[in-house]
Amino acid sequence: MLSADGASTMAFFSSGSRALVEILTRMQSAERPMPVDHSFFEFGSIRYHVEASASDPENVYLSISTPSLSHEAAPSSTGLPEATLQETRKAYHKFAEVVEPPREGYVLTLKLNFSGLARPKDRVKAINQVSLLQSVVLSSQLRDMLGSLGPFGTMKLVYSQREPFFVSNTKIVFLHALQAEKIHAIFPMRFRDDTDLAIATSFFQELQDLGNSFARAPRCSWSPIPPPELRGEHVDRLTTNGGFVSFGVLSRHVRGKKRAAKTAWILLNFQAYVKYHIKCTRSHIQSRMRQRLEALTEVIQDASLRGNHDKTRSQAVLKKRRSKRRPISFAKANTKLQKGFRAILNKVKRLRLRIRVKGLDRLWRQCRCFAVPRLPVPPRTKEKEHRYHKLASVRSREQG
Amino acid sequence: MCLQNFPCQEVERHNKPEVELKTSPELLLNPVLICRNEAEKCLIETSINSIRISMKVKQADELENILAKKFLRFLSMRAEAFQVLRRKPVQGYDISFLITNYHCEDMHKHKLIDFIVQFMEDIDKEISELKLSVNTRGRLVATEFLKQFI
Repeated sequence: MLSADGASTMAFFSSGSRALVEILTRMQSAERPMPVDHSFFEFGSIRYHVEASASDPENVYLSISTPSLSHEAAPSSTGLPEATLQETRKAYHKFAEVVEPPREGYVLTLKLNFSGLARPKDRVKAINQVSLLQSVVLSSQLRDMLGSLGPFGTMKLVYSQREPFFVSNTKIVFLHALQAEKIHAIFPMRFRDDTDLAIATSFFQELQDLGNSFARAPRCSWSPIPPPELRGEHVDRLTTNGGFVSFGVLSRHVRGKKRAAKTAWILLNFQAYVKYHIKCTRSHIQSRMRQRLEALTEVIQDASLRGNHDKTRSQAVLKKRRSKRRPISFAKANTKLQKGFRAILNKVKRLRLRIRVKGLDRLWRQCRCFAVPRLPVPPRTKEKEHRYHKLASVRSREQG
Repeated sequence: MCLQNFPCQEVERHNKPEVELKTSPELLLNPVLICRNEAEKCLIETSINSIRISMKVKQADELENILAKKFLRFLSMRAEAFQVLRRKPVQGYDISFLITNYHCEDMHKHKLIDFIVQFMEDIDKEISELKLSVNTRGRLVATEFLKQFI
């Protein structure tokens, strides 16, 4: 998300599916028609299924299953509201048609046929457009639901199964005459531990402070207590440890279909965004702590009488998990030998040092008062007298 | 830091840090408590063959508290890299060191003291920097999030 030096290389949640783009591009660029049967998940809850047969390579069947945003909204016979289906038909009418009923276990199935698009550029554009299918479906669903939401009503939305959020509709009055609708997207934030909570709290405070400087962005507020819009909700839904983040979405934030889809997508992924920020910050903290640990370890190694002899050992302790076998180099072996030799020398020096015992000199001085009998030492002779003769001289005598 | 080898007076063939066991009161010296305030203090307990230094690190707010706890736990779990670091701090303190006569024989005393002082300084510095860095990252990420709407 952010590099250690703070440079902003921000990852954002792209609404397009990269896996889908890759599969479709590969199918288009394949020389021979090949059968395809892929099934995969994205964002945890969006499931795709891509199917094409070798006998009919022109038609690709793409099925999608998105989470039902609200259990309160009445589903249509196909699983998606009619407005969403119409919007999908309109968005992809050039190269796709909606298959009814959709494949089992999916809410929507599209039959894609890119043969009508002659230019490769158009095909690439179409594939990118198809990758945005989930964004189109979800934002359309959201818009439909918000439309059905009466004034002063509140609705619970479940995009991620574990983290539902609320949408409420209020009317605000300007200067006693002008009326404008305001939608509040309220996110109850729950975190698993204190570290996550501390990082998220810092983020929310910054988000709240910065809200004023971005006039085109919805106003954000964070409070530890539930906002008044959630009055009357069940207590379980309002029990959080991270407070409530709410975005005030005005009509200007959702003017135009593209803008509305973008705003909906950003808000749907807000919780995932916060989680991602927490994860990155945790890893950043971890790497900093590791650096500091290494710096401090060097200091304690320098304190050692044996110099840095223990360095290899403690480094091995630190890097035991990522240790690798390296080829033996003679230069390194030589330095190791030298270090070992130096360590032995140091030990010898220490052994030969005079041992100083505190107060021993005083004792010795006291002892001098008493006469210490000296033992008689035998006088040393200059040359030792040998009782044997040299073999050579004996032999010469015998010969003589 | 005048430590000497001193076997246990009560159990034969035992040689343990007296500051930990406290078997004989005559082998213990008076502890020294250096206190800047209630949140920042340092306790030095000395005995004939060992010395124990315990520290309480400044934790001004919730974020600092969590960062300090996290960092000190991280260091305690890697105590073998420091030789003199105690795995579990003394009650009421955040981190403790235990220096025995064997450490004094293996290491330069003045450098050992330098290490303790640098450790204290670095802990404070690191926690402040981490706090600053978390807030800066939060600000940048919040800016990037709001920029998406534009």
